[in-house]
Parts: sequence; structure tokens; C-alpha cells
Amino acid sequence: MAKPNVKRMWRDAVSGYSFMTPAILIIGGFLLLPIAYAIFLSFHKVNLLGTVSYKFTGTANFERMLDDPRLWIALRNTVKYALIVVPSQTILALVLAAILNMKLKYRNFFRVAFYLPTVTSSAVLVLIFMWIYNKNGLLNYFLEMVGLPTYNWLGDPSVALIGIMIMNIWSTAPLFMVIYLAALQDIPESLYEAAEIDGANGWKKFWRITVPQLKPVTFYVVVMGIIGTFQLFDQSYIFSAGSGGPNNATLTMVLLIYQYAFKSLDMGYASALAFLLAVVIMLITVIQRLIFKEEKLN
Amino acid sequence: MKQRFTLTLALMLALVTVLSACGSKSNTNNGASPSGSASSEPVEVTLAGWGSSPEEQALLQQVLDEFQAKNPDVKVKYEVIADQYMDVIKTRLIGNEAPDVFYLDAFEAPALIEKDVLEPLDSYVTPEFDTADFETPMLDAFKSADGKIYGFPKDSSTLALFYNKKMFSDAGIDAAPATWDELLAASEKLTKKNGKKVEVYGFGQAPELARQMFMINAFGGKLADDQGKATFASPEAEKGLALVIDQHTKAQTAGQPSDVGAGWGGEMFGQQKAAMVLEGNWAIPYIQSNFPDVDFGTAEVPTVNGKKGTMAFTVAYVMNKNSKKKEAAWKLLSYLTGKEGMKTWTSKGFALPTRKSVAAELGYDKDPIRGALVAGGSYATSWQAGTTLPTIMNNFNNQFVAAYSGQSTLSDALKKGQDTANKEIEAAK
Repeated sequence: MAKPNVKRMWRDAVSGYSFMTPAILIIGGFLLLPIAYAIFLSFHKVNLLGTVSYKFTGTANFERMLDDPRLWIALRNTVKYALIVVPSQTILALVLAAILNMKLKYRNFFRVAFYLPTVTSSAVLVLIFMWIYNKNGLLNYFLEMVGLPTYNWLGDPSVALIGIMIMNIWSTAPLFMVIYLAALQDIPESLYEAAEIDGANGWKKFWRITVPQLKPVTFYVVVMGIIGTFQLFDQSYIFSAGSGGPNNATLTMVLLIYQYAFKSLDMGYASALAFLLAVVIMLITVIQRLIFKEEKLN
Repeated sequence: MKQRFTLTLALMLALVTVLSACGSKSNTNNGASPSGSASSEPVEVTLAGWGSSPEEQALLQQVLDEFQAKNPDVKVKYEVIADQYMDVIKTRLIGNEAPDVFYLDAFEAPALIEKDVLEPLDSYVTPEFDTADFETPMLDAFKSADGKIYGFPKDSSTLALFYNKKMFSDAGIDAAPATWDELLAASEKLTKKNGKKVEVYGFGQAPELARQMFMINAFGGKLADDQGKATFASPEAEKGLALVIDQHTKAQTAGQPSDVGAGWGGEMFGQQKAAMVLEGNWAIPYIQSNFPDVDFGTAEVPTVNGKKGTMAFTVAYVMNKNSKKKEAAWKLLSYLTGKEGMKTWTSKGFALPTRKSVAAELGYDKDPIRGALVAGGSYATSWQAGTTLPTIMNNFNNQFVAAYSGQSTLSDALKKGQDTANKEIEAAK
């Protein structure tokens, strides 16, 4: 009666799990285990160099955050960075996608050309931009030509972060542009035709049809944008040679984690900071989900 | 992509511990390789250092070739760590993958000595090696509190004033400034402006602690106390540092390399965008080979508050405590820092010798360009201040830049830097 059934269930389970073993091993070994280990570390004081020791310190690492001025500078820089970069790159991506979706000549050429910055390695991009940002570089040359004030982009704390912002908007917007472009193809042509019959102009069509239709994609783009900006590391690392300078202007959360982990070898505190960053990103994503859902209901 | 960074970080953390766990197992059979074994296989010793100019690299290779010719039983594997040298070395020490012999800057030495990852070298020293021959301050930089020697300095450099002879004669200045007041006056004459924009600065500065520590000491200030706490926000320290800041923000006769689009002082000087800079020995071959048209001279750093002062930078060869080839590693280390090896290494003047006998033999004290650098050795402030220096330096530099760019006053900046540094030092205990 039930016996063959049980046997079959077992066989199914065994074959099912054996098919999943590679995935379980990889996800477990490279995702879940490290996460669990990082959480474990964040409650310890770790000494790795010399005599290896783990000392349980409870929440000491988390209490230390409250009194760490550099953490607050890093958080402020990161939030400032996200607040400017995410809207700019989203709008730029949308506008570029809308333009490239029109029936233009050489459309494919522009699609490829605009996408190129995303393909380029970010380390190379930063080095090229550092040359552009040089005091006697290209950017200052153009600014001077049109009579605008010039800056020491690399050495002046008040503009250093802006330099990285410009660079990042320029290099990530095309990625989201492609996503928008794909979504634009999905909007039925009939909607636009109907609007045209009703006498809507180009702007109205864009604002009343394109933007609302793209809302789910916008949610995705904004979430990915925020995660990306909160994890800004490579650009500011190369820009400041790992120091987060000038005057902590380019110190980001991840760069701070890196400094504590690999410069001070304070793995416990660094893990605690990584944990904080994960919580912050999760919170922001949840809030965004709530906002976007609410509007859907209306 | 960057989104994966936290994940990668967590992964690295895990990996590091796994590696260190493996490491501690193999530590148990540590110790020197059995000496006197009749095996004909040469022992391979790894040597690691940071990258330098091709000429220096070739010179080091020459020294290593000479060593291998004399010691056929030792084979040297030389590795260059191109970037973030200390991060790489520390990580490799944790993973027990560190080279047998490696470079160590005096500035990082106290921290590594305290962590007990370096081999004390006293027991290896033979009378022929002649430890007393080393310049005392340079050797002391690699001694622990209880007097054990952990590294032998391979070379050193101090800072001296480099000046552009043509700019000096054009401005009608006939001698290099000997006091800081003279330097300020000379900078005034040497600075060339085009409207409001400065085209040539009289004096090129490096607003960072490694170059300015002697200014803290000039009026009796101290960077850190015996407990390793930062103490640089004192009126005495401020007095010295104000000379640097004011010349940039008020007189506007001094600037940093990035103000004129240069990467460092030597480049700024070579491109003739600064008439004077404080640089070390490393700048001499750089300027001579890249800017052969620049006719320059050197002089001792002008006196501040009537006292002579400059910085001294030293690098040593140290041995990894977990090396399995200590005997052979010592052979290499003692050759490189010995009289013969050091003579070849410093013969071209890329670096100055740390052995008195070699210095006397090569006669750099009478060299028209290097003489000023050698003279600085007797009164220089060593670039070293205990185990907390990296933290102090990071916070000092960040705040000093704020004052340098005029974003805050010097005393506010120093106070803030000191508070942050001390908080961090306290928290890391």
C-alpha cells in the first residue's frame, strides 16, 4: 500500500537532491557559509597576524560604531552619493533609451556606442578620468574655454566626490539604458496610436504612457542603482589610492570596511560594518518596495 | 560587479581563516632546514619587494646574481609586489605564504615586530657581519623594545632642498636659502603668476605627515606620546605646521603637485612648475633621466626656528619567522646588507648606504648633489613612531589636507585629527 509510495518518494528525493548537490555545495560554500561566518566574526575580536585568536566580545564591535566618526563620514558620503547618482543615472538612462527607441538613422551604431562605457573595466575608466580631472587636464581646459571656474578635481575635498559621481553616472547609465530599451519595445504601439488620435503631443505621450508603463522596470533600476551606489568601492579606492582622501571626501562604506579589514586587520569590526551595510541596503529596498506597491494600488 | 563586493569580502574573510588554520598546522615543524646536508639541490629562497625603476631593478638583479655565483647552494626567487605592498605582505603572512626575506619600511616595523611574525636576527649575526658598522638610528628603527634586532637596513634617504639653478639666477638669488625665512622670501621672488593663476610655484610642498613630521618637532611639538596616543594638536606643533599652511593659503607662493597637474614633487620640479622642492635621494636619478635639461642643485633643508631638521626614510630586509629555509635566508639577507652587497647596491646612488664603511668608501658626503642628503642623516627625524603610526598618519593626513585647502583652520583640523586618531587607537585596543 503505502510502502512503494514511500520508496518512490525516497527515490525522488535522492535523485532530486543529487541533482541539486552542485548548486547546494556552491551556494552553501560560497554564499551561506561566508555570510554565517561574517556574522560570527562580527561578535569577536579577531587577531590573525601572529598568534591567531578569536575573543568573544559580544556587541562591542557594534557599540564601537556609535563612536566612530569615520563611519558617519563614510555613511554621509555614501548617502550623498546615492541621492545624486541614482536619480541622475535613472533619468539619463530613460532619456537615452527613449531617444534610441525612435526611428533614427544609424540607431544601432548609437546603441552600441552608448553602451561602450559599461563594457570598459572600471579601473581603466578611473585612470582615464583621473587624467581628464588633472589640474591641467581636459575638463579644466573646457571649463576655462567657456569661462567657468576650474577646480583641482583630485586634490580639493569639496569636489573630489563630485568627480566620482560624474564618472559613475556616465558609466552606469548605459547599462540601465539597455534595460529601459528592452522594456520600451514591450509597450504596445496601439497605446501611442490611440493617444495620437486623442491629440496628445510627443511630451504628453512620453509622460503619460511611456513613464507609467515602465514603472516596474524603474523599480528594478532604482533598486539596483541604490545597491550599486552603496557598494561603491573601486572608483574611490583608485581615486584616493585606498585612503579615502582628500580629507575623507571619497571615503565610502565599503572602502572603510576594506581599510579596517585589510589595513588594520581588524576583521571583527570590519565584519560588523559589512553587516551594518547589508542591513542598511535591505532596509532601503524594503522601503522602496512599499512605496512602489502603494502607488500600484491607487 | 561591485554588487558582489560584500559577498567577495565575506568569502575572503572565510578563506583567510582557512588558510591561517592550515598555516598553524605546518608551523609546528618550523625551523631551519637541516644544515650541512650533502644534497646538491640548491635551496630556493624567495625575496619580495616593491617595484622601482627599471635601473634599480637591474641593479638589484646584479647583486642577486653576484650572490648566487658565490653561493651556488642558494637560489633566489625574486618577486615584485606592485601595489599595496603592506596589505599583500600582511595577508601572505597570515596565510603562511609569505616570502622568506622581504623589504620592510621603518614606519611599519614596530607593528610587525609586536605581532611576532619576524625572525629575531641576533643569533645569526657573526663578528664578520659587523653590526656596529650600521648607522645607529637606522638600525634602532628595527629593534624591538627589548633590544632584539629584527631587520638590517638596506639603504636610506633623507630629504634635502632641490632648487632649480636657472630659476634662481633669473630671479637674482645667488645662494640656496639657509633659513626658513629666506626660503619664504625666495619663494616670493620665484613664484610666477599669470593673472591670478600661479604658473610656477616658488616652493613645492607635500601636505602629508611623512614629509612634515620634522616641522612638528621644529618648535618642540611631538607627534605621539609613549603610549602611542597622538599629541600633534599642540601649540608647538601648530607653529611649525603653520609655516607650511600659511605659505600655501596666505602667501600663495607654495603649492602641492596636484595644483599644477603633477603626480609628486619630483615631477613638479622636473616640469619646472616649482623652483624648489624637498625631496629625497630617489628624485635624483628620476630628474636626471626624465628631465635632463633641468639644471638643479641641492642644499640642506633650511633651518626652522634656528634648528636643522629633515626626515629620514629607511628600509630593511627582514626574515619571515615561519620561513622553512632560515639558514639560506640569512645567507641572502647578510649578503644584501653586508659590506659587499650594499656597496654594489648603493654604487649608482639610487639609495644611500646605511653602513659607515660603505658610505666612507663611496664618498657620497663629498658628492655635489648627494652631500646635502648625507649631511641630513645626523639630525634627521626618523619616519617612525610606534605601532599606532598608520592610524595617526591616516587621520593627520586627512585633516591636514582640510587645512591645506582652506576648509578649516589649522588648529581645528589638528584637534579633530588628534581626537579621531585617539578614539580609533582606543577602540582598537
